Amino acid sequence: MGRSSKDKRDIYYRLAKEEGWRARSAFKLLQLDEEFNLFKGVRRAVDLCAAPGSWSQVLSRKLRASNESCEEVKIVAVDLQAMAPLPGVTQIQGDITKVSTAQEIIRHFEGQAADLVVCDGAPDVTGLHDVDEYIQAQLLLAALNITTHVLKPGGNFVAKIFRGKDVTLLYSQLKIFFSMVTCAKPRSSRNSSIEAFVVCQNYSPPDGYIPNMSNPLLDHSYDVDFNQLEGPNRIIVPFLACGDLSAFDSDRTYPLQLDSNKEYKYLPPTQPPIQPPYQQACHLRKNNLLAKEDLPSALLGLGALNLGTEQETDASTRETH
Amino acid sequence: MCLLYSALLIGPNWETSVLVGGTVFNQLVLWRPGGSKGDSQSQVERRLLGHSGVIFSLCYLQSARWLASASDDRSVRVWNVGVLGADGGCGVESPTCLRVFYGHQARVFCVRLSPGCVFSAGEDGACLLWEWEGNGRVGQTLKGHRSGGIRSLAVSRGGGWVATGGADGGIRAWRVLEGTRLVDQSKEADCQIDLGFSGRGCPKVVRSLGGRDAVLVCTDQGEVLLHQDESWQTVWNGGPEFQSYCVMDVAPVQFQDASLWVCAVGNLNSGVQVFALHHPNSGVLLQAGQGKVHALQWVQGDRLCLLASGAEGLVYRWTLEVIEDKTGLGLRLEKQKSFLLPTCAKRWLTAAVRLPRGNGSLWVCGDRRGSLLLYREGELCEESEVDRENREGGSKEEQGVWEDENRWPESTVNDIAPISPVNTLFGVHGKQGVTSVCEHQGLFYSTGRDGCVRVLTVDRNTLKVRRVHRASKGMEWLEKVMFLGSEISDMYEVIERRKQDGEEEERSITDSGLEIEGVGQKKRDTFNEEAELKKTIGINLEDSGSERFAEARFVMVGFHSIQFVLWDPLTRDKLFSVTCGGGHRSWAYIFPSHTQALPSSHSLREGMLIFIQKGAVMSSRSLTSKATHVRGHTLKDGLHGRGLSCICHLGSVSRGGLSSEEWEVLVTGGEDTTVSVLAIEPGQGTVKVLAVLADHISNVRTLAAVQREPRQKGGSNSRTNTSSLSTFLFSAGGRAELQCYQLLIGWNEQVNWPVCQVTQVAGHRLDEQWERRRNRHKTVKMDPETRYMSMAVVHESIEEILVTLACSDGAVRLFTVRVESRKVELVWENFYHQRCVLSVASYSFEDPQGKQHVLLFSGATDGAVALWDLTTVLDSKSMDSWHGPSAPCFSLPVHQSGVNALVISNEVGPMDKDIITVASGGDDGQLSLMKIRMQLRQEVVFPELLSHWTVPLAHSAPLTALGALDCATLVSTSPDQRVCVWRVCHDGLQNKATVFSHTADAAGLWVWHKKGSGLQSRDYVVVCGQGLQVLELTNGKDPERNEKE
Ligand SMILES: C[S@@+](CC[C@H](N)C(=O)[O-])C[C@H]1O[C@@H](n2cnc3c(N)ncnc32)[C@H](O)[C@@H]1O
Repeated sequence: MGRSSKDKRDIYYRLAKEEGWRARSAFKLLQLDEEFNLFKGVRRAVDLCAAPGSWSQVLSRKLRASNESCEEVKIVAVDLQAMAPLPGVTQIQGDITKVSTAQEIIRHFEGQAADLVVCDGAPDVTGLHDVDEYIQAQLLLAALNITTHVLKPGGNFVAKIFRGKDVTLLYSQLKIFFSMVTCAKPRSSRNSSIEAFVVCQNYSPPDGYIPNMSNPLLDHSYDVDFNQLEGPNRIIVPFLACGDLSAFDSDRTYPLQLDSNKEYKYLPPTQPPIQPPYQQACHLRKNNLLAKEDLPSALLGLGALNLGTEQETDASTRETH
Repeated sequence: MCLLYSALLIGPNWETSVLVGGTVFNQLVLWRPGGSKGDSQSQVERRLLGHSGVIFSLCYLQSARWLASASDDRSVRVWNVGVLGADGGCGVESPTCLRVFYGHQARVFCVRLSPGCVFSAGEDGACLLWEWEGNGRVGQTLKGHRSGGIRSLAVSRGGGWVATGGADGGIRAWRVLEGTRLVDQSKEADCQIDLGFSGRGCPKVVRSLGGRDAVLVCTDQGEVLLHQDESWQTVWNGGPEFQSYCVMDVAPVQFQDASLWVCAVGNLNSGVQVFALHHPNSGVLLQAGQGKVHALQWVQGDRLCLLASGAEGLVYRWTLEVIEDKTGLGLRLEKQKSFLLPTCAKRWLTAAVRLPRGNGSLWVCGDRRGSLLLYREGELCEESEVDRENREGGSKEEQGVWEDENRWPESTVNDIAPISPVNTLFGVHGKQGVTSVCEHQGLFYSTGRDGCVRVLTVDRNTLKVRRVHRASKGMEWLEKVMFLGSEISDMYEVIERRKQDGEEEERSITDSGLEIEGVGQKKRDTFNEEAELKKTIGINLEDSGSERFAEARFVMVGFHSIQFVLWDPLTRDKLFSVTCGGGHRSWAYIFPSHTQALPSSHSLREGMLIFIQKGAVMSSRSLTSKATHVRGHTLKDGLHGRGLSCICHLGSVSRGGLSSEEWEVLVTGGEDTTVSVLAIEPGQGTVKVLAVLADHISNVRTLAAVQREPRQKGGSNSRTNTSSLSTFLFSAGGRAELQCYQLLIGWNEQVNWPVCQVTQVAGHRLDEQWERRRNRHKTVKMDPETRYMSMAVVHESIEEILVTLACSDGAVRLFTVRVESRKVELVWENFYHQRCVLSVASYSFEDPQGKQHVLLFSGATDGAVALWDLTTVLDSKSMDSWHGPSAPCFSLPVHQSGVNALVISNEVGPMDKDIITVASGGDDGQLSLMKIRMQLRQEVVFPELLSHWTVPLAHSAPLTALGALDCATLVSTSPDQRVCVWRVCHDGLQNKATVFSHTADAAGLWVWHKKGSGLQSRDYVVVCGQGLQVLELTNGKDPERNEKE
């Protein structure tokens, strides 16, 4: 596959490179903000599952531009993976399912609660549909849990969801904590994907609710009866497509040369892909060391092999958007 | 709290059991969940680190105290953990990693252990059997699922049976006999054995004489040598006449009860020596015109026939007869009329096959120029009496000549004009030539060095290409096809063997639980079913006169760069490969000894290749050859390896007579780039794959079908009262590719199944069209990534069919497909939408004056639905002069985001003829319904929107597919896995029923009404996504789950 083939397929991927965003998902947050005015008056924001950092970039640019003194703006980015530094963004390399991570966030805000929590988390996609959807839901619940520790009452929470068979159940859980929950789909998110975002406004936990990480209150059983709920008892969450209609269409295929005056030039990605789990296997394959029927598997003590310099490019094909 | 991707509970009871978890953080954690009393949480006692990806599967083998893990990092690890559970607690204090197995090409989804052996399977579709000894060598590779990989794995207690469940929904069982794993194969490793050729000069041609050992070689010194029992022996020496050149062919011939081999060798001076192998000195020297003998072929028929290509495109022919006389056996060759090849540079024959037709024969031949030729001889050649007499006279003379040293006397036959082909497909296989032609069950198959297999039929005097199958990328040199026996024969053997193996093994396979639900039971059913089938097929095979019109399963034989390869086009699996140095060499593939008439794909892996390399005769014993103990059996056919994007129902076929057995015929298209034709028997829930069409190079996203009246063949249909379907099928999808087929689906009484005949009508790709038009100086292609999202047939007549396509580059396009000339042409495109067009639907109606009107609706990602009037396309005499509308009649914003589905129906009752109902489903989960009156003023359509109702959250996920049972009943589905039935009332839409469906990622849907007598009429819904499910709408319009794939 040629270097430009992803450019051909995905207009937002190209735009992200042109505008210097680390990932195309930056546009999703920008378009969500267009619709919901998410950044208004926000000084302390948390970006959960932030790497490679395009949402943090958006937060950094937007919040620091609207506030007179940049000093007051505090952004904390959490991810399992490390990411390149950004102005005004504090990084925590940690797991959002851990209470210690919540405590660390609070420490950075010097005891104050956050105005906004965003989460674009996605687990490794197995390709096993039900597992993916379930794990995405679990990650969302973990994000909600950590949010109950750090978000100020009245604050907002935005998170990625998969609109699958149990999405109604998730809505019902979010509605316990927020007075307004909307399912929003930015135009930069593909029509064909089940990805969408829940925009949860006005954090108002039930009376007497005490945040508790180790015993998730929310883990309702996924029983069939609940799923079958239809009619008047069904939890309804409005759907909203957001982003300007005149914006680019993420499903449309555009010619490489968008503007007849400007010649197309290939730009390398802003942030190269992170280390994939199968790096070792790829290394072995490249060096013809995978076990076959005639060759024993490469032996233990693989540490001797130099893996540092290799970058597997097919990592990008695993992106969920 | 932490996410687990896999877990395993070990122990006799809850209190003492150990839980092993495979975490999202690449660790294995062990703890005793029941160990601690009270509320306090139990602590993780062991952590096993080493994997660099999440852990998908775990297995523990008590006897060896091994714990195995399979991971996203593509490795399998085996840990020494000690005794787990009961008194053992969490096992040894510090577990160690014993083995790391890297061998999979993608994620490893499952791992199983049996003493001395580790089994793993994954996304690469391979199940690997690892040998414990020697640090982990792959002892066996079991492959056989279509794309998408293996998702589940079960191993019987002794390790003798392995069952794999594929993402394609298929289930396969493998018999792995004891002992296979213990053989030390190191000596055999990918070995190529030099057969120690000891003759003079260089071996040039190699042929197999059947058995595993007998090989015949011809050298450039004009010598023929036989290799048998590990030694070489000169059979014949042609002397100086036959030196420095060499063509040879050998064929078996039946004489009385014995079978003997006859060999023909050609030289540079038109000489052809024919002799029996066991009697080489009493040969016959024939004269094939003048000059070099370019090629020789023996062709089977009622008499064996020898074809020798001489100069000037003349192919000399003789029939052979073995006779007995005083000195023993003799050969009698009778000269026949020559064939004349079309004029071209490399003018010789490369392949030929003969079929008896009436009193004569039909010959399908291929030449070096890539042409396929049809010759007829006998009856239809209008041979004059004189000619026949001449020939008979000549043949008398021929007798006994083989005893003499003399040259063959010039026969009078020579004076007769050669036979010219009655039909020529000039250069169809490309400049590199045809490599083989053969006949199988009434169809012809040709291969060439263009990397294609062509399936042909002969219709009176014309050769017709029914289908073209392309080999895998890089396999441009095909040599031939090998037909596969149905897997049924395999199954038959299982039953037989099972009887021998006794109860023990049988129990172990059903007991082992087989992760795949209910396989145990299914398997048994299949055994019985297949046994029945075997019986019926047995009858069929003897009845050779019956004409089966379905294509057979075959593997492609050819060269992929420096390798000789057997390639299964259906499973896309390389069954066999030998590094031999590439094409331009003589080879012979030897079937494994236990092969029946038609081999199974698995047995082909175990064959052997004899080939010539650098002057040596080599034999490959590819490693798999020792695996004669492994057998694969298909318990259940796989469908698509990945998601199904679209589905359509063609109709039903039945056996007729008193039987009520009716099969519903469905077509599916998927992300695996294939289209499948399926027959489903809803009563039993049986699914049968009738055909797989693998011509698309990218995803198949949309299907459309046009029914045609099936031709009644000699009234046989009415007599047996079976039904059949004739359909033009269109499929379209990624890379702006459109394919058109003609399908003929009928009932085959011999096998008692529905069968499907496929004829490829046309294929078209937009970028190829652009490529041709492209200005040479412009280097940037316009847009090669355009996808076709949806399709609708707008109009059809006998000669042509008009289809519209919704395109991802923002266009709505209209194509004509001409059936006779097999041409696809773009006649109109419009970029009005300016964004990805997701759906199209068409509607045509007749106005009071009897004039036909054609309407088209299109929906895009911005939620707009547009209406187009294409009526004028019917009036225009030629497509070139028709320009099509430049703007839609109207356009309405209906959805917030993409319009995924559009369905049009019209009101019942003649009064409302001009009112149509347009239903649409969107990415916003909304279902919308518009009633539009089509007013006509001076033959021009003026639409008037009468009403517009919506159900904003009809589904909690995108509404991806919609169907109308009648104008008052709609059925919708979505990735929220609900199927909803809606009733159109006078004041809006009402939800009648909702049911949960097991089909994840629902992407397509079809509803149909099945007429029957009284209560027997039924309504069906089929949903496709990850798999497919058929639901029946019962009286109260409650969908009821019927059966699931
Ligand atoms: C789609 S990416 C986020 C992209 C990011 N919003 C941006 O715009 O650049 C998802 C991220 O979720 C992170 N992640 C997944 N599970 C996590 C967990 N349990 N804790 C923290 N981060 C997690 C992954 O490491 C990954 O970087």
